[in-house]
Amino acid sequence: MVLLALSAMAGTSKLLYPYVDNAADENVAERYREISRYLLLNDGTPADWGQGGQTIPAAFGLARIGSEIPYELDINKVSRLSSASLYALNYADIFTAFEMPDTAFRIEVKPLFTANINLSSTFELANETTYQFEILTEKHGIPVQVELKCYVVAENYLDSSLALASDGKISVNVTLPNDINGPALLVALARSAYDVRIASFSGYAFAHNAREPSARSTFLRLSPLNYSFTASFLYSPANLSSAYALSFSHNSTLTQIANSNESASYQIPRFKDASPTLIVVTGWNATAFFTEWTAYPLVPVQMGADFAGSVARSDVFAYTYMVTINSVIYESTVWLGGPRE
Amino acid sequence: MRRQKAGQIRIIEAFLAVLIVFSSFTLSTGLTVSRNADRRDDLVSVGLQALMVLDSDGGFGKSITESNWTGLRNQLELVLPAGVSFNLTVYDSQMNIVNDAIVSNGGFSSQEVSLVEYACSEQATTYRGYVIHLYLAVTT
Repeated sequence: MVLLALSAMAGTSKLLYPYVDNAADENVAERYREISRYLLLNDGTPADWGQGGQTIPAAFGLARIGSEIPYELDINKVSRLSSASLYALNYADIFTAFEMPDTAFRIEVKPLFTANINLSSTFELANETTYQFEILTEKHGIPVQVELKCYVVAENYLDSSLALASDGKISVNVTLPNDINGPALLVALARSAYDVRIASFSGYAFAHNAREPSARSTFLRLSPLNYSFTASFLYSPANLSSAYALSFSHNSTLTQIANSNESASYQIPRFKDASPTLIVVTGWNATAFFTEWTAYPLVPVQMGADFAGSVARSDVFAYTYMVTINSVIYESTVWLGGPRE
Repeated sequence: MRRQKAGQIRIIEAFLAVLIVFSSFTLSTGLTVSRNADRRDDLVSVGLQALMVLDSDGGFGKSITESNWTGLRNQLELVLPAGVSFNLTVYDSQMNIVNDAIVSNGGFSSQEVSLVEYACSEQATTYRGYVIHLYLAVTT
């Protein structure tokens, strides 16, 4: 009798569950979809909160002020999401500005494809050394045909080259005179051969006349904001040598506009081409030469709640959008989650 | 003796039933449900947004006028999420098919196909309007 009753209950609930659950899910999904759009289509309060390094927004939104292009994000607002920046907002600040206490979120902005650099071989001669790099550009394992602009930076040394990776893979040779101090840095800017607005980048530091390079952000913390950047010394004393701003079509040696015992500041030029701007700073720490680099906007960036490790009883929805920052198209994913209804 | 045995079995049955019901409640509440919004229902939204972003500089209409079908296919491959099949057809203002080559990343293996309709024009001295039909499906 009991088994019969249980079987009937189980059968009924199995039949009705999809209709009851889906109706609730659709409402939640629709609500979260509108919230994710709101985050990317509104500029927040104050509308220029991205430009002030210490400004905490009263209402959160990432759109560029007065933009006529849908899903165009502000370069400074996105850069302030990165914990690598001195001006980063913390999750608590954004959560308060988000004004939805029942909703946790996570935001990611990244290039549409990846560029990976690997050092494949080294040929050392009497006066110079040639390094052979393999650069791979792909999206989810599918090769992306790109134009590549490579810059090599060492002490008082900047060189560039242009190449076409027709099948998403190319070998690039870099020859450096042996009287130049390293470690050296190879940075590659890649853009789709079919749309210059679809771009990616990568950097690879390598030993040249020097010990193995340290990890990024060992000596300096580079924080770009409002077309200038602050290089904060993480390892005092440090003596900065040169600073460069690099885009696909342009490059510029930067002039220091302010300095103190703890940091130095530089202005970033507004290049006209559709390209992320890479910033490279070289210097000396006691006896060691170093190179540090970052990108403006500070992407890839991922900030917010960690849903993957969550054991909370919650529904999590992810929404992916194409967004534009300074004429370059990136992919942005917004995860939203709250108590299961 | 028989009545006693029958009573014992019913007690065991009831006990097992209670155990099953409570264990199912316990197990189900501990689960975190995660869903990706890029499902069929959202394909229209994803496709429309991709077309809008690609056309934000007026380049879409220019590519059509120049019959740059390879370029359009590659652009769509880059902006659409992985695992989405697409097929694009371009019509002129009289609804004649413009593209003389297939703009697609492969056949549809799914029966659930979504249609995105989008209108664009070329930013040039001569006005040319186009209607784009973008068919999308999740690769299974």
